[in-house]
Amino acid sequence: MEVSRIRALRGPNLWSRHTAIEVIVSCTEAECDIDNIRGFESRLRARFPAIGPLQLAGRAEAVSMAHVLEVAALGLQAHSGCPVTFSRTAQTLEAGVYQVVFEYSEEEVGRLALELAEQLCLAAFADTPFDLAAAMAKITELDEDVRLGPSTGAIVQAAIKRGIPFRRLTAGSLVQFGWGSKQRRIQAAETDLSSAIAEAIAQDKQLTKKLLSAAGVPVPGGREAVDLEDAWAAMTEIGGPVVVKPKDGNQGKGVTVNITTRAQLERAYAAAAEISSDVLVERFIPGGDFRLLVVGNKLVAAARRDPPLVIGDGVLSVRELVEKVNTDPRRGQGHATSLTKMRIDDIALASLATQNFTVDDVPQKGARVILRNNANLSTGGTATDVTDDVHPELVACAVAAAQMVGLDVCGVDLVCDSVQRSLKEQAVGVVEVNAAPGLRMHLQPSFGKGRAVGEAIVSTMFATNDNGRIPLVAVAGTNGKTTTVRLIAHILGCQGLRVGMTNSDGVYIQGRRIDSGDCSGPRSARNVLLHPDVDAAVFETARGGVLREGLAFDRCDVAVVTNIGMGDHLGLNYITTVEDLAVVKRVVVQNITATGVAVLNAADPMTVKMASSCPGSVTFFTHDRQHPVMATHAAQGRRVVYVENGEIVATQKNADQKQFKQTISLAEIPITRNGRIGFQVENTMASIAAAWALDVDWDIIRKGVSTFVSDAQTAPGRFNFFDYKGASVIADYGHNPDAIVALVAAIESIPAKKRLVVISGAGDRRDIDISRQSEILGDAFDEIILYQDQCQRGRADGEVLKLLQDGLVNAQRASQIDEIRGEFLAIDTALARLEEGDLCLILIDQVEEALAYIAERVANS
Amino acid sequence: MEFLKILPLRGPNIWTYRPVLEVWLDIGALEDSPSNTIPGFYERLSSWLPTLAEHRCGIGERGGFLQRVREGTWPGHILEHVTLELQSLAGMQGGFGKARSTDVRGVYKVVVRSRNEQVSRVAIHAARDLVLAAMQDRPFDLPATLTQLRDMVDSLCLGPSTACIVDAATARNIPSIRLTAGNLVQLGYGARQHRIWTAETDQTSAIAESISGDKDLTKSLLEACGVPVPEGRLVDSVADAWDAAEDIGLPVVVKPRDGNHGRGVSMELMTHAEVEAAYHLARDEGSGVMVERFVRGSEHRLLIVGGKLAAAARGESVCVVGDGKATIRELIARDINTDPRRGEAEEFPLDLISIDDNAAAMFEIERQGFNADAIPVAGKQIIVQRNGNVALDVTDLVHPEVAATAALAARIVGLDIAGVDLVAEDISKPLAAQGGAIVEVNAGPGLLMHLKPAEGEARPVGKAIVDSLFADGDDGRIPVVGIAGTYGKTLVAQIVSRLLHLSGKHVGLACSSGLYLEQRQVEKSDCATWAAAQKLLMNRNLDAAVIENSFTTILAEGLGYDRCQVGVVTNVNPAQHVGEYYIETPEQVWNVMRTQVDVVLESGVAVLNADDPLVAQMTDLCDGEIIFFARDAKLPVVEEHLKRGGRAVVIAVGSLVLATGSAQVPVARLAAIKMLEGVAPEDQKIEHILAAVAAGWALGILPELMRAGVKNFNVDALTAERIDV
Repeated sequence: MEVSRIRALRGPNLWSRHTAIEVIVSCTEAECDIDNIRGFESRLRARFPAIGPLQLAGRAEAVSMAHVLEVAALGLQAHSGCPVTFSRTAQTLEAGVYQVVFEYSEEEVGRLALELAEQLCLAAFADTPFDLAAAMAKITELDEDVRLGPSTGAIVQAAIKRGIPFRRLTAGSLVQFGWGSKQRRIQAAETDLSSAIAEAIAQDKQLTKKLLSAAGVPVPGGREAVDLEDAWAAMTEIGGPVVVKPKDGNQGKGVTVNITTRAQLERAYAAAAEISSDVLVERFIPGGDFRLLVVGNKLVAAARRDPPLVIGDGVLSVRELVEKVNTDPRRGQGHATSLTKMRIDDIALASLATQNFTVDDVPQKGARVILRNNANLSTGGTATDVTDDVHPELVACAVAAAQMVGLDVCGVDLVCDSVQRSLKEQAVGVVEVNAAPGLRMHLQPSFGKGRAVGEAIVSTMFATNDNGRIPLVAVAGTNGKTTTVRLIAHILGCQGLRVGMTNSDGVYIQGRRIDSGDCSGPRSARNVLLHPDVDAAVFETARGGVLREGLAFDRCDVAVVTNIGMGDHLGLNYITTVEDLAVVKRVVVQNITATGVAVLNAADPMTVKMASSCPGSVTFFTHDRQHPVMATHAAQGRRVVYVENGEIVATQKNADQKQFKQTISLAEIPITRNGRIGFQVENTMASIAAAWALDVDWDIIRKGVSTFVSDAQTAPGRFNFFDYKGASVIADYGHNPDAIVALVAAIESIPAKKRLVVISGAGDRRDIDISRQSEILGDAFDEIILYQDQCQRGRADGEVLKLLQDGLVNAQRASQIDEIRGEFLAIDTALARLEEGDLCLILIDQVEEALAYIAERVANS
Repeated sequence: MEFLKILPLRGPNIWTYRPVLEVWLDIGALEDSPSNTIPGFYERLSSWLPTLAEHRCGIGERGGFLQRVREGTWPGHILEHVTLELQSLAGMQGGFGKARSTDVRGVYKVVVRSRNEQVSRVAIHAARDLVLAAMQDRPFDLPATLTQLRDMVDSLCLGPSTACIVDAATARNIPSIRLTAGNLVQLGYGARQHRIWTAETDQTSAIAESISGDKDLTKSLLEACGVPVPEGRLVDSVADAWDAAEDIGLPVVVKPRDGNHGRGVSMELMTHAEVEAAYHLARDEGSGVMVERFVRGSEHRLLIVGGKLAAAARGESVCVVGDGKATIRELIARDINTDPRRGEAEEFPLDLISIDDNAAAMFEIERQGFNADAIPVAGKQIIVQRNGNVALDVTDLVHPEVAATAALAARIVGLDIAGVDLVAEDISKPLAAQGGAIVEVNAGPGLLMHLKPAEGEARPVGKAIVDSLFADGDDGRIPVVGIAGTYGKTLVAQIVSRLLHLSGKHVGLACSSGLYLEQRQVEKSDCATWAAAQKLLMNRNLDAAVIENSFTTILAEGLGYDRCQVGVVTNVNPAQHVGEYYIETPEQVWNVMRTQVDVVLESGVAVLNADDPLVAQMTDLCDGEIIFFARDAKLPVVEEHLKRGGRAVVIAVGSLVLATGSAQVPVARLAAIKMLEGVAPEDQKIEHILAAVAAGWALGILPELMRAGVKNFNVDALTAERIDV
């Protein structure tokens, strides 16, 4: 078995909506059916007993090694605690070659699982050992390492529930919610509105106290001490038990509570001074430690926090009591479980010493033995939810404290006897205010109910009806994508939206190109969704990116499929047939929102079929309203767009049988040249349907299509018109049979004395597609100039020219055929032959250079 | 010369609106020795402090003060001027001062403007020592004194960046409160405040700061949004480094991943051999090696505030040119550090270059094949600091596209204020054509290079920051009601607070019966104090504040607010106040009380008791409107006021009415007001209610609300009235 070409599908893809690893697996003949390998399955099961069935019940097909790899890679993850369920293996046309796909929740974990699954298969094959426990531990460890922490994870889950898209910006906890101008960011329990100054204030305990007391929030009296003597003086001033803590500290480091003697003070001072040069001495307020979580101006959770402690039974020693407590299955090592194991370390020993215990002493029945004066979950403490019990006065205190410091998400640490009692009934002190508070104690408290704190944070960032999404249109198809994308973007721009657009020329933000080259893949689309100045996005979605990585977005509002036609790029990447291609192009249709719209070409049978996989509604378009698909769809009260009497008509029969109808005259739409250029009429219909789906006002749609220009500047390589000495020169980047058919149809309506065409073939097409192009041209042009383009894409010298010549063998019309090396020379040759009234189609390859060259020649003519 | 008492007056006071230090000075026998009688005093004083010549004093022209010294003046007056001069020489501006005799012979009140209390305390003590030394013909170590004062100013006063923001706020009439000994300052009051901390604001996102601190993340975010950055990547071998260099395009920079001070950084590499050598150099730093596009040009700092370009400066390389004799170390000392713009203190726009503590400069020199002790040949130019901190203002040259790109970079990172570092050959041209790039986005950028550029115009960056926080016309103020007078202040304050509460405001009240936040008593002690007032104004939850000011507070602390929306003076009974603080006459008492009227905003209202002749005389002091209150609408001063279209709250046929000109709106019948049950008709309580209603009217509270508030006001809840003296 050989594994090659590993791909991470990071968005909805050909196989599913899940993120997945896709690999090509080649099996030897024997490996194509594991029944051929004696004892393999039993060895496999011995090594990974939980692997489960390798075949669906009731099926009898051979199980290949590739299948085993698939099931193992998924199973290893699933049994290590990763939330994954989907996997699949597909046989390719090549014997013994399979595509194996399995879901991952973390890409790195998925890749590791693949590696380990391969090792497992090899071990089972060769009857060598495989350490399953070690493999699963490795997966678990990596997963804990790379997945979002509990606080960030809870907020992200809450966002997902609200339909808000998210994206991790780093390997850490920085996450973007929403898209474009509606995006927001979080980092653990901080939001992008969490003020840096407020965080600095929360770090400065003295300043915090000053501000809190100004807000009427009770704080323990006390002051900074410059040295031990000063600390003693401060303790004397306070006149009761004190707390000593470092001025800039966190997580309770260096804090000692309930100090009543000089000796205790000395130890406490030394501990605090180790953390910070500034030490605070404060009144000790007896009672429990409570954490109140304020989000926005509301208390959303509260917990009592108890330090790690054991209660004597008069029989077991401290050490044995700790061991007993640690057998609780909820106690784990890291942050993953709701409790953490207690540790007997130096801090614990010191704490025991102050209570006059050693680890081997047996405490009396009922004695509380505290292992450390710090109630953090991560050091073995417990958290008890008390959210519903907090007295309204204490709620008001916590909210006032958060607001005074200026934190939108704030953990307020409060000491008091009981949160149920008012300020008058007990001593209360707010001892600390924390930015970016940990949420684990509220999500999974050791005792009591978990609280929806992630939801609370998300709801302060996004209003009830806001899911952070911007209108998103994805355009797929074989031909016309780029013009359609441009036209939709132009219409949305007319609506006053700042539009981000990707297409095969580049990435455009508000009409400005920020990246060039073929940008019809997911990386460019993701960049647009990251851009802060984008209110709507229109993406050309080419097959390459869908195959390579999946979509850049989870869902879109509108999916346009212009056509599938005869297909393009067939034979690459195991996409062999037009049907296969349709499956790829269908991915955008499958992933529209429930309220979204698929805009489909009714005249293209492959495209029409996609309607059945659309979770939203469908708008069909084509010239002919009588087309059976159109007529049926219209009769069903659904939206159709067609051409009638020189107008594009958009219509829908409403429930009350009233007809909704809007018309736009083709004469108003310059790119159609009064409707003469058929494929531009189609692109316009698709664009109008897309704008209609987004509820764009009809006046704006009309304005959009009437002001859209497509020339060499705005749409390089898209049917660019030039006038050369009275002859019409049309430059286009059409490189597949469908594009050529459309071009020929468009040019037919333009009268001409003599018709010339200049063409090369792109090397990365199937032989048959290259020949098919010249075959079409040979029936439509008088003279044909073939040239070999710069980029042969892996073809041998002359190979493409030969294929083009093959296509011209039975040419009906062409009377003269020339072969030229070099694009510019081919252009020169064609221009030299032109006379007034002639027409020349130049199929350019190096788009910008060729257009610039033609423009220069035209200017100098 | 003995200081009997030093009073820091932290708010508006009887002398001025601004904080001052008031010193009670007993000059004893010197009362008989004016300056002209002390031989050599004038000469010593004027030679030690020649800049005293600038003090105009009462004479009103240059040299005025020295003329008074020559002709004979007394030590209090001299102490005032010397203190101010010492403060000024130490870098603490502010020229206000006064010296006034008291009724006690030889005892003076000397007042000096104090931007910082600790500095002024030291300054006034030093001034006394100086004056005594000059009188007694003893030496005085002025340089040591000034060094001490300057150090204090540097460490205790606001830094120049923060100060320029605060000054810009002051210019817009936005008040400020310094929250710490550092640079954390609150602009505006209560719920309308914003906080700043040097060039950070409370709108500055902590996440954005952490993004800007991660250069790789910043670069990848910028690149994704099409902002030009020096493309590059991590490499793991020489071959990989050369591959990267060829992909990126030559020349390149090779540097350690976490470089600082330019250690291990090699620039403008063109060949495989250079890249190879540079790779090894960078690898030795141990943090991984980066290959990046070399961006040609000067480093520019573009300051983006609230989405707009506020200032731009260009950093120039600092060079020395060899003479064949001096070492590089000597050339730096001779040709660079002698620049008058260079110095150690914060006020100097440029730093001194100390080659031995400056690793970056050291490496820069080493890169050129020298060391600090090398003697370059005559005419050889050596770069000491590439893109050093010599800042030339280029704000007006920045191409609009470049400004838009820098603003976009700040927006991508999420910063409201950002210093965008950009390398380009010509900032007046778009970046794309010249291959310019943004290399860093900084949070909390220094403003000094824009305030004191080495060359070119200073830019009002403080104003830009203030304008980004406060919309046009927003002065960051919440309604503040200040109440002074001899009797009834507390009751008035409590009723006004109640009325504001009923009108839906989150109101704070500081009065002699305690501190109240939204009707909840949080302190029980006397809170008619400066500190209590400040607490209210610091409180972000409050959108109105009612503040009682005792006579003593005004005298001993100053008011807790700079200006107020409504200033109330209930009445003035001089007999209750004389005897302390050297206040002896009714005029002096009046002078204290008037402080409350002086600070009323132009858009504000003074509420004055027309029945009290001393109070009625304060009308002319008010910048804003006057609303009188009086039992009797027929009082001539009231009648005249109404005739001019003014407003007054009076009693008409047993009802409390709001009178404007001849129109009257009844608020409540006196008989229906609970707290007046059983109260004699001549009781002052009626006046207090009138005052409170007038204040409520001034605040725009509706008559219906005032009716409800006044009628049902719970008199039992009031603590016993205090009369402060």
